[in-house]
Amino acid sequence: MVLDLTMSMAVLAIMGAIATIAGCIEDLESDVGSQSNPNSQVQLAPQMGLLHRIYNKAISGEPISNGFSAVIGGLVTNVLLNAKFFPLTAIVLGAFVAALIYGIFATTAYAGRVASQTRFKQPLYMDVMRYTTPSIIGHNFIVCFCLVSISYIQYAILGYPLSIPFLALIWGISVGAIGSSVGDVHYGGEREFQNREFGCGLNTALSGRIVRKAESGLRNSLDNVWFCAKFGGPATGIALGLTVFFSSWPTTIWGYTWTAMGVGVIILAVMTVMNRLVEINVKKSYGPYKEDKNEKEAAA
Amino acid sequence: MSDIKEISPENLAAFGIIGGLLGIYLSPLFPPYTSIFGALGAICAVIWGAEAVRRVAKYGLGTGVPSIGQIAMGMGIIAAMFGLAIMKSVTKDPRAIYAGPVLALVTASIIGFVIGWFAQNVIKMKIPVMVRCMTEIAASGALIIIGYSAAVAGNYDFMGSLILKVFDNGVILAVFWVGAMAMLHPFNACLGPDEKQKRLLYLAASTGAITMAVMGIAAIMTLGPMGVVTLVIGVILWLIFYKKFWDEVYKDAASVVGTGLIPKTEA
Repeated sequence: MVLDLTMSMAVLAIMGAIATIAGCIEDLESDVGSQSNPNSQVQLAPQMGLLHRIYNKAISGEPISNGFSAVIGGLVTNVLLNAKFFPLTAIVLGAFVAALIYGIFATTAYAGRVASQTRFKQPLYMDVMRYTTPSIIGHNFIVCFCLVSISYIQYAILGYPLSIPFLALIWGISVGAIGSSVGDVHYGGEREFQNREFGCGLNTALSGRIVRKAESGLRNSLDNVWFCAKFGGPATGIALGLTVFFSSWPTTIWGYTWTAMGVGVIILAVMTVMNRLVEINVKKSYGPYKEDKNEKEAAA
Repeated sequence: MSDIKEISPENLAAFGIIGGLLGIYLSPLFPPYTSIFGALGAICAVIWGAEAVRRVAKYGLGTGVPSIGQIAMGMGIIAAMFGLAIMKSVTKDPRAIYAGPVLALVTASIIGFVIGWFAQNVIKMKIPVMVRCMTEIAASGALIIIGYSAAVAGNYDFMGSLILKVFDNGVILAVFWVGAMAMLHPFNACLGPDEKQKRLLYLAASTGAITMAVMGIAAIMTLGPMGVVTLVIGVILWLIFYKKFWDEVYKDAASVVGTGLIPKTEA
């Protein structure tokens, strides 16, 4: 399909918006089950004698698990489109099947990991399993719906010469990689170690010593989503949305020309400078890494 | 660990190779009804592969488990395509197609051996089982790819049906990624000091069965109603092994409680 400039910009804007939602929800989904980088601390806690009521969703790394759910969503959507379903119905059903399978893998990961920690006496809480898994499925449904929608737009409207499962897989890997590198730090660094000084860094003495108590009662995984929804999730969403927008914007305006390439290089340069400024600013504000008292004792 | 009786790697390898090849060779017998054997063979290979991943990843590869699954499929898919496609160009004999899966298995083993040798002797990872496990992982990866592809296409004829029914419509991506997940997830999910082989094998069968169900959905597009049969049998197998996995969890876990506070510990 050939689109004029206004329509192309509209399609790009929609894709950017959907990607923003997908990125945001993906990060929150990984926080519900403590996947990826915060997971190692949840896994370590019982070894340090700190039992907890936090979900341990070790399906695999985020890029792989999100690629997994997205490729299933894309595949089912493809099958349904082939059977002449309406696109929206097909995408919804595809995302639903993918989210259900993702939920199954989440339950086996939690049960399996806890059963492998018998010697530390970590109990398997079935209520945690019951109220957290539906939340994981729900979040993953939204992510998968967004990713398969983007793939469908690329396939049907923009005419990419690739199949929907292929595009969905690439998007799944991207959203997982961005969620893992942008948003997880917020959960792993600031939520699990909320009782430490901001920006103190995680030294070895603190390994596994995560916060297990909430404002009231014991902390559960849903509390973590509530916290991460304030910053980590939206930051991830903006990261993915901007990635989609800035990677397609030059070619939408100038076509596949050297001008577009030049604009891309300028965007990259500006981003690099901005990142460096933020880094310098952060280092100035929070100073050099201060040694912990425990660590000094341990060194001595 | 030694006091628990485990199935030996040799027996599991035999189970994976024989089961996998048998399933693949049975798949084109009465098309499309026998396509389901491809998926059943692939489940055997998944169980073998998951055990091989377990043995190599036990050396503290924690975060490397997913990477091992991915490299397995990467090696497997190259070998599978090479093995299935090469015979067509070597000889015009139509019977040559039967050599495809075995050739793929051998190619995968060679690729796995070379990569394992490099990891061991060039990168110096110092994992004693590295070479052997890499060979096993690659070989099972090739069988998984061919098995699930045969379940979707109805046979393992590369030019005749795999390209059309599995590669062109993107199903191969699902075979690749979901198959890798079926193989790497069991160890990743059971990782810990009290990990047990039996629980892991049940989980491997369960993830393999889910993959079979997904391939059943894909087969509805390529083979019609036969896909529904693959889907239903996949779901039934999944239910059986998922239940068995949970039985093991109930047996192995320190305690399974409906709800409750954190028990008191010394720390």
